[in-house]
This record gives sequence, C-alpha cells and structure tokens, in this order.
Amino acid sequence: MPVIQTESEYKPPVNGSYFAHVNSADGGCLLEKYSEKRHDFECALLANLFASEGQPGKPAEFSSCPLNSDEDVNKWLHFYEMKAPLVCLPVFVSRDPVTTGGLFVPLFLPRAGVLSPLADAASMSGVRAVRISIESACEKQVQEVGLDGTETYLQPLSMSQNLARLAQRIDFSQGSGSEEEEAAGAEGDAQDWPGAGSSADQDDEEGLVKFQPSLWPWDSVRNNLRSALTEMCVLYDVLSIVRDKKFMTLDPVSQDALPPKQNPQTLQLMSKKKSLAGAAQILLKGAERLTKSVTENQENKLQRDFNSELLRLRQHWKLRKVGDKILGDLSYRSAGSLFPHHGTFEVIKNTDLDLDKKIPEDYCPLDVQIPSDLEGSAYIKVSIQKQSPDIGDLGTVNLFKRSLPKSKPGSPHWQTKLEAAQNVLLCKEIFAQLSREAVQIKSQIPHIVVKNQIISQPFPNLQLSISLCHSSNDKKSQKFATEKQSPEDHLYVLEHNLHLLIREFHKQTLSSIMMPHPASAPFGHKRMRLSGPQAFDKNEINSLQSSEGLLEKIIKQAKHIFLRSRTAATIDSLASRIEDPQIQAHWSNINDVYESSVKVLITSQGYEQICKSIQLQLNIGVEQIRVVHRDGRVITLSYQEQELQDFLLSQMSQHQVHAVQQLAKVMGWQVLSFSNHVGLGPIESIGNASAITVASPNGDYAISVRNGPESGSKIMVQFPRNQCKDLPKSDVLQDTKWSHLRGPFKEVHWNKMEGRNFVYKMELLMSALSPCLL
Amino acid sequence: MGVTCVSQMPVAEGKSVQQTVELLTRKLEVLGAEKQGTFCVDCETYHTAASTLGSQGQTGKLMYVMHNSEYPLSCFALFENGPCLIADTNFDVLMVKLKGFFQSAKASKIETRGTRYQYCDFLVKVGTVTMGPSARGISVEVEYGPCVVASDCWSLLLEFLQSFLGSHTPGAPAVFGNRHDVVYGPADTMVQYMELFNKIRKQQQVPVAGIR
Repeated sequence: MPVIQTESEYKPPVNGSYFAHVNSADGGCLLEKYSEKRHDFECALLANLFASEGQPGKPAEFSSCPLNSDEDVNKWLHFYEMKAPLVCLPVFVSRDPVTTGGLFVPLFLPRAGVLSPLADAASMSGVRAVRISIESACEKQVQEVGLDGTETYLQPLSMSQNLARLAQRIDFSQGSGSEEEEAAGAEGDAQDWPGAGSSADQDDEEGLVKFQPSLWPWDSVRNNLRSALTEMCVLYDVLSIVRDKKFMTLDPVSQDALPPKQNPQTLQLMSKKKSLAGAAQILLKGAERLTKSVTENQENKLQRDFNSELLRLRQHWKLRKVGDKILGDLSYRSAGSLFPHHGTFEVIKNTDLDLDKKIPEDYCPLDVQIPSDLEGSAYIKVSIQKQSPDIGDLGTVNLFKRSLPKSKPGSPHWQTKLEAAQNVLLCKEIFAQLSREAVQIKSQIPHIVVKNQIISQPFPNLQLSISLCHSSNDKKSQKFATEKQSPEDHLYVLEHNLHLLIREFHKQTLSSIMMPHPASAPFGHKRMRLSGPQAFDKNEINSLQSSEGLLEKIIKQAKHIFLRSRTAATIDSLASRIEDPQIQAHWSNINDVYESSVKVLITSQGYEQICKSIQLQLNIGVEQIRVVHRDGRVITLSYQEQELQDFLLSQMSQHQVHAVQQLAKVMGWQVLSFSNHVGLGPIESIGNASAITVASPNGDYAISVRNGPESGSKIMVQFPRNQCKDLPKSDVLQDTKWSHLRGPFKEVHWNKMEGRNFVYKMELLMSALSPCLL
Repeated sequence: MGVTCVSQMPVAEGKSVQQTVELLTRKLEVLGAEKQGTFCVDCETYHTAASTLGSQGQTGKLMYVMHNSEYPLSCFALFENGPCLIADTNFDVLMVKLKGFFQSAKASKIETRGTRYQYCDFLVKVGTVTMGPSARGISVEVEYGPCVVASDCWSLLLEFLQSFLGSHTPGAPAVFGNRHDVVYGPADTMVQYMELFNKIRKQQQVPVAGIR
C-alpha cells in the first residue's frame, strides 16, 4: 500500500505509546512500538497513505490495522507538508472500543499540498472537501505519555551532547591508510548514519552492543593521541641517536647496480624492438585471422554464387527438386502444349574449379544438362520451289547451319543453352503436328511426308516444302554445314507464322473457356453453347468452328505469298518492258495473311492529269485475284500469271484510246465515235481492240484511231475532198461546196511521227490539223 | 434467318404423294435451283399429365416439341397459342425427366422429309409429310434470306411461289398477320409447321386406293 514519500513524520495520537514513522528512505511506513506499557494492543498501527485520485467518497480499499483513537483526535491536528504533485488519501480505520467501529476517511484537498485528516468521531463516511491538517512532529520527542495524556518530552540533546554522540561513532583506528582493518562495530555505525535520530535508542532497543560505553567521551581520543605521541617520541629518540652515530648507524640497503648509463641508445633500441615485436605479434595474429576469413569467404562466395545463380535460373525456368537432383522443365506444357516430350533438364553444380588457378571469365558455378535429342539448334525451313524435284531427292536431310540467334549480352550461358533447347523442342512439335495433319487430312493432291520433310503442291508446277532442320553441335554434322544450300528460298515469314500458329493452338487448349452459365450447360465455346437457344443455322455454326489445321493454314498462307510475289513480278516486268503507256503499282501497307491489295494505274507520261481513266484495284487472295475497275466492273482472275498479264495489256491498249478521247476534249476536237471493244478488223488474241474517231473543230479533218493489244495502233486521217488529188470527178456533185466535205482516209506513219509517246504524238497531229487562228 | 412461308401442296389428281413431289422438284430444277441436300422437320406431342390438372377438370394443354434440321443444335417447344421456347438439344433429355408432368401422346409423331433447293436468295424445301409409315401430304417451305421483316417481302414471296406452285399458292400465313415490322424468327417458322401438321393430322388419310 505505501506509495508515498514524505519527508516528515507523522504520528497519530494514540492512546498509547505508538508512533509511526514515515520512513523517507523507502517510502514505507514503519511502525514501531515504543512503549511496552500497553501490551494489550496487539495490533500494529499502520497509517496507510496511498496515492489516489483524490476523489471524494469511499476509499477504494483500506487495509489498515485498527487504530485506537478516541475523541482526542479532535484535539490533535497534525500538519505536514507534502510534495505538490502528491495526492494521497489517508485512510484511518478506527475501532473505537466504545463504538462498534468507524471509518475515518480523511479527504484530500488539492490545495498547495496540505493534507489534513478530518477528525470527526461522529460521522463515519467522509464529507466532501474537508480540510485535513496534519502537523509534523515537534522538535521534541515524546518520552512518555502519562495516563492523563500529558506528554513528557525528551530534552533534545545540546550541541555538545550531540557532538559527543557523533564522535563516539568515529572509529579512529580506521584511518585512510589502513583499509584492511574494518572494525565490525564501526561499520554498523557508519551505515546507520543516515538513519539519524533513532539509532542511539535503537541500539538500546536492539541490544547489539557495538563497543563499550565509555565513562568519558574523549577517552579514546586521548588514548589515540597518547599512542601517537609515544610513537613520535620514539622516532625522535631514534633519530637523535642516529645523528650521534655513537650507538646506532644507518646503513643503506644494498641495491642492484644500475645498468651503465653510457648506452642509452641500446636501451632505447631494445625497448623499441620489444615494443615493435609486440605490435608485430598482434598484427601477425590479425593477418592470420584475416587470411583465414578471406579464404573462407571465397569458398562461401562460390557456394553463394551457386545459390544466387540458382535463384536467377528460377526466375526464368521452372525448377523442382527430386531427391537430391534439381530438375527443370523447358517444355511448353504449362503453356498449353500437348506434345509428349518430357522436356526436363537437370541443374548440376560446377565443381571442377581449381581455386589455385585464375577463375575464367565466363565461369558459372551452375551448369544445365539438357536432353540429348534437344541439343544443337533447329529451325523450320519453308520454301517454295518452282519445279518438283526427282523422287530420289526427297528426304535428303538438308542441314543448313544457321547461325545461332545472338543471345542478349549479359545473359548467362545456361540461358542461351536452355532457350536453344526449347526452340528445338518447339520446332519438333510444329513438325510433328504438320506431319500428322499431312497424313490424316485428305486433300486433292496428297501431301508427301518423308523423314524430315513435308512436300505439298499448292499450285501446279509449284512445290512447297516444309522441313525440320536440326543441326547438332557435334563434329559429324559440321561437315554438312559446308553444303551449299541457298538460303534465299527460305521464307522466314512462314516460319514465323508457324511459330505463331502453334502458340495460338497452345492457347486454345489451355483455357479461355469460361465456365458455362448455367453450370449444367455443356462445355465448349461460349457461342457454341448459344447456338441451340438462338437457333443458329448451319452457316453460322460453321463460321464458329474453325476446322482448319496447321498445315492447311500454312499452305494457304504460302499460296497467298506466292501469288502476291508473282503478281508483283508480272506488274514489274510489264512496267519495265512497255514504256508507253506507263504502269504504276501502289501496294497497300496493311495486308492480311490471306489477302493483299495493290492499286494499278496506267498513265501516259506528261498527261497524267488528263488520261487517268484506267485505274485498277487488285485484291490478291489465296487462289484468285479480284480486279475492280474504276468504272465498276469486277473481274476475277485465276492464279495463272498469263491471265493477269493479258488483262493488263488489254487495259493498256484501252488506255490509249481513252487518252485520245480525253485529249480531244481538251483540244476542242469532237468525238464522233468511240468503242471499247470493236467488232471489226482482225481478231486480237488478247482482249479486244478499241477505236475512236474524232473530228477537228472546223470539221475539215478527222482522225480515226484503232488500238489493239496485239496489233498495235493504227491511225488514219480523213482529209477534205478538195485536198485529195486522185478523186474521180463526178457529174452528181455540181456545187463546189461539196468539195469541202471530208473524203478518203490516209494512214499516218505513226512510228515516224515525232513525240515520245502516243498521246504526245496525237496532240501534235491534232494541232497540226487544226488551223492556226492567228 | 429470312422470312419463311410454309404451305401445303395438295396432292395432284390421279397422282400419289411421291409423284407430286417429283413434279415439284423437277419444276424447281428447271427453274434453275440447285439441290443442296436434304432436310427434316419433326414434331412430337405431349399432354400435360392428368395429375397436374385441377379439380375442375380443365383440359390439359398440348405441347409440341419440334426439331428442324436447318437449326441442328436447337429444339423448339411450343404450345398452341402460347409461347415458343428455343432450347438446345438437352431439352429432349429434360422431357424424359419430366415424364410425370408431360405424357407423350403415342403415335402422334409427325415429320416431313425432303430435299433442299437453293435458288439465289430463295431457299425452297419440298418435303413429304409422314405420320408413321404412311405419307399424309406435301409441305413446301420457301425462305427469302435477305429480308427479316414479313410485311416487306410478302409480295415478292408470293410472286415466287406463284411461279412454281401455280394455282396452289397459299395466302399470307397467320403468323404474318398481326405483327408488322416485327423481325421474323425461327420460332415463327415452327409455328407454321405446327399448324400445318395439325391440319394434316385432322385430314383424312390420303385415299390411295381408287385413284388409278
């Protein structure tokens, strides 16, 4: 309970010689029985002072011994100062022998730390905010309390008495020089010093006698002084005798001879050497420790390197521990592949390291062991060849050692090794899938699968060969690397597309099938599930199901690529062969795997703005070319090269005639007739001939043009009658005005005309035949 | 799914069902239609079970469960004047489970089978309606693919029907009647078939004998 610290004493008025101390040393309350007169009080008094919040009211608890007090409490007021932040609630439990019992609850007033107990014998419970005053002890101690309540005070000790009392405690035999001697008696005294005020009496009480009580307090001092004097006298006597040298002499004690003083450097050297040796000793010890730790570190580092390398490996590849081996998985199974290859590699620790030798630059503490059939590098070679080879050539293993794909700088060698092995695995899977489809799927022209090659015929006289080229790193195959294989016909695009297609296939097998709602619906594509309730017809169902395999897709793509390249070649050859008119091709940048488009313009040089009526849009599909003409006609051409060429030639010839028509408009000539497909004259083998007749502004002349793709152009000019010499005179025509009509035609030597192209020549002709208006 | 008209072709005088079908198909081929396989539409009838009927003894409703090869993954269930449900083929299995509530009327399975002709945008199906082993009539279905609103293309359909059915051209089907500008759906076709089957069921058996 005691939680307070006070510095003052407190004593309750008791009918008896009780008093309580508040021991400031340990903050507890000490109760001592003083008087022995009241033995019938068996209880000890304990005034509990505990800190509380100062709330008035009932105390939380109290465990005080009954305090005998009576009405004298009223008369007694004790004040004592408490420290300011202290809050206490002194509780007195009184048991009045007269009454049954009472509880004194003195209350605390938070006011400058003054606490006064409420002395109210009548009321049992505390009243709010009652002033409690506690008076601290007077300077005089109570010696005895008389039967009538009077107190007999002990006379306080006078100064001299006090001093004597204190001096008694000094142990003069215990000086500063002799620490070994410890008088047992004096010890207790010295420690009792803080507890002043009560020890003297306490000693009496305890009965422990430390030293004899002396008759005269200064006795010991005198004795000590006397002994000191005695000793001094003795010393004096001795010194005086020695001075006389008659009866006593002083002999010096012999000592070791000092080392000769003439070698201070040697001494210094020796001392330096010693100290240096000591320092060296320490350093050597330290160095030894360091080297030991460094070698340990290095070994640990190697060990740690393996672990850190393993960590790096784990970031890229799946690893698992089987027994004491670490195995990894480099297959695409987790990505959705169904290829039955296991694809496991083993991680081994590279321990063939000689610590003595220098560690090589590319040293790696970790090594991977890949399955033997995945070693080396592989790729799928897709090529389109014009002529089909002999049967005997089929199945030749065409190993073309392609340089390994450059690994990223800084990637460890195991990464490149694993990636190459994974690529080999993927190529094997692609080829396995293709060959399976080649055998199973029926097509018009069956595919041939020989060893590592699949041969199919997309177009007649055309052969598509897909082969798996796997070159291992051993010496035997190095020989074949020198074999001449032209890499030009390898279509990288198709190889890349094959990779994409197989990855798409993986993705399909993996997931992307949402759980069906409701749970009872069958599994499958979401739209397929809806096809029942939404009454899809056959077309819609077919569009949902993609039934094409890898081989079909790649063949279609190959066909398209071939068709596109051939179309480009046709257009280019025509453009280079024929200068007039010019043919231009604008290829679209955005293409599909199965469709590309090109815009073909046929123009005459210098007259592009006037003669631009032939513009064709070619949509190149898988097997056909669809041509959309500017005038709205749609023509479908097959994959035959000749068809496109013929078509373009016919368009070119038509262009010339169209150009004349446009030119006539510009020049002011009148178009008399125009026909795209003329039914007269010799039959063209390619397309049809076109013809146009234009008349001059004043009507004197007319130009007639017939242009065919094969027959070329024929230009005739019609002159007025009066310009022709060889006309027969006739009696019918009497008037001369009839001679102004146009008469016979004359052919123009077109190749002798000046002008770089047809339209230019035509313009010259027209302007020559138009009269000058000046 | 375009606007469809289902009608019945009466059997020609002095000819059997098969011969009439022959006639029709030949006409279509001459017209220029190309044969595109076969088709089949069938219908089963179910009564609501007696146990579910109330004490008043109200008559049970008839439910028709139909399939159409044009929509191979679907199953149609319809009441006479009521709603038509389009479900997937698991519905048949469901009907087995609902044996307690719907009892199948025996010997009421009726179906029509025949050939399918495509003539540009028109899809013509000429089929023989059979109930059990006996042929009961001829169904003709014409679908005009591009249009989905009945009122827009009925005249065109009629004209086409006239071209090969001649005098036997039907009038506008009842399903077109009230709802104009409503998108035509497969359910309407099945309603037409149901009505056709009911009509044929009520007819007497085609008298085979006596017409020689």
